[in-house]
Amino acid sequence: MTPADVPAIRATGLRKAFRSTDGSAVVAVDDVDLTVQPGEIVAFLGPNGAGKTTTVDMLLGLTAPDAGTIEVYGTSPTDAVRQGLVSAVMQTGGLLNDFTVEETVRAIAALHGRSDRVEVVLDRARLTDLATRRVEACSGGEQQRLKFALALLPDPDLVVLDEPTTGMDVGARQEFWRAMREDAALGRTIVFATHYLAEADEFAERTVLMNHGRIVHDAATTDVRAAYGGRTLTFRPPAEVDGADGLDADWLARVRAALEPLGVTDVDVSAASLEAAFLALTADNEPIGAAR
Amino acid sequence: MTATTATTTRVTGAVRATPRPAMLTYARLDLRRQLRDRIGMFFVVGLPTFMYLVFGIGSDDPVGSGNVGMYVMISMAAYGAVTATTSVAGSAATEQVMGWGRQLGLTPMRPLAFVAAKAGVAMSVAAVPVLAIFAIGAATGARGDWSDWVVSGAVVWLGSALFAVYGLAICLVFRGPNAAGIASGMIVVLAFLGNVFTPMSGFMLDLGRFTPLYGYVALARFPLTDGWLPTEGRDPLWLPVANVLAWTVIFGLVALWGVRRSRART
Repeated sequence: MTPADVPAIRATGLRKAFRSTDGSAVVAVDDVDLTVQPGEIVAFLGPNGAGKTTTVDMLLGLTAPDAGTIEVYGTSPTDAVRQGLVSAVMQTGGLLNDFTVEETVRAIAALHGRSDRVEVVLDRARLTDLATRRVEACSGGEQQRLKFALALLPDPDLVVLDEPTTGMDVGARQEFWRAMREDAALGRTIVFATHYLAEADEFAERTVLMNHGRIVHDAATTDVRAAYGGRTLTFRPPAEVDGADGLDADWLARVRAALEPLGVTDVDVSAASLEAAFLALTADNEPIGAAR
Repeated sequence: MTATTATTTRVTGAVRATPRPAMLTYARLDLRRQLRDRIGMFFVVGLPTFMYLVFGIGSDDPVGSGNVGMYVMISMAAYGAVTATTSVAGSAATEQVMGWGRQLGLTPMRPLAFVAAKAGVAMSVAAVPVLAIFAIGAATGARGDWSDWVVSGAVVWLGSALFAVYGLAICLVFRGPNAAGIASGMIVVLAFLGNVFTPMSGFMLDLGRFTPLYGYVALARFPLTDGWLPTEGRDPLWLPVANVLAWTVIFGLVALWGVRRSRART
């Protein structure tokens, strides 16, 4: 078996529970199966508390699963990290305020035994001009780019990004993804967790939707949009048919009949954008849009 | 799949040689960061120097093979060195709070290497008050055999390593921004219990013999005093040695456990 045949990630039956403050167990990740092939760009999409970060932690060997197996390039996550096969941009913290940007990169480069890559990653993350600035003086976006630079130090085959653009403004976010896209073009496998739909939409070939610790949908991003998105036509009904318990059914039937000659086959009360698809797939109760 | 059609030269997942962390480079960067902290360095060097100047200068009464000035000088150098190692370790705890521990967890460095690197940085900082106070002592009438100077200086400096591990252990156990304050505050208490500031006697002395600073300072003064205490009796050499060894093991185990724990997100 050549290395290329080995999946970048293979997880089966992953499960992780935490003990909450009142002593009850909270299942953060529940029976997750996931295979990611080398070269794929996968988005983990889900609301806060869906289990994205816990899954990412298990991918990186920072948390041990309670049950199930996880392999990164055919080896344990800890070994993969040790060999520099996988690295990550973490959501929380991870920088020292009284280091400069360059010192931070040098320090972590030393631990990877890759001091030769300091200049390369500073350039790749567009930090060369900020090299002598102290970390505490950097904006959120600049700090995030610094973490990205650190993740590139071991020249990893797989990069895991946990909500990488949290706290960035629109410009910084675009700048960040531009750098990421350049990097993905070099053939790196990229897995990122996000709750920004637009990021999954623009950047990922495949979207994995998570909620309550489970994978609720796993398909090509275009399929998700095609199935639940498309174009939507919205119009406002007259006030007299819009009662407290929804639209007047008779009136809706008349709308349907009136639109039929125009080729309209179905009339839905709520808009089915990708945003709605996301909500529908991750909602606790009945999917929105089923109401008539 | 895209993976097979993409024209990329990248062979992913290939077995690589595990890189060797350049711990010395990391420690040097960390040391430079530490010495830049002016307020921290005042408490490490300035305060114990001041205390020696107040209590040590002009005390020429004989103690063992030297004088009281020498005795106070060793005590204060030890206090400065211990403050240095504890506060360096305190900064290590702050790093853990800031999530730096998770960043380090994503490198090939092992927990034991991190403890060693931090201890190395702490030792370098600890050398500063020892050299400063010994130099001032030499210039202001501290007196003893040449071997007292060499052996005491070495014990003060090397022995302070124990409190780098102590600081790390305390700060990893009491996580949060106050951890470093707790560790330094406890050093003051332990210094009194450890017979560092005022000579103790009776029950307090018996109790003090079990506290971590006692063995270290008693060992540092041993060349000068040969174990004789200012108040009563004499400690045989094995007592401070056993004290130091026992606390080294205790602090080491707690620190190792703390580093492992800090990497998991809770």
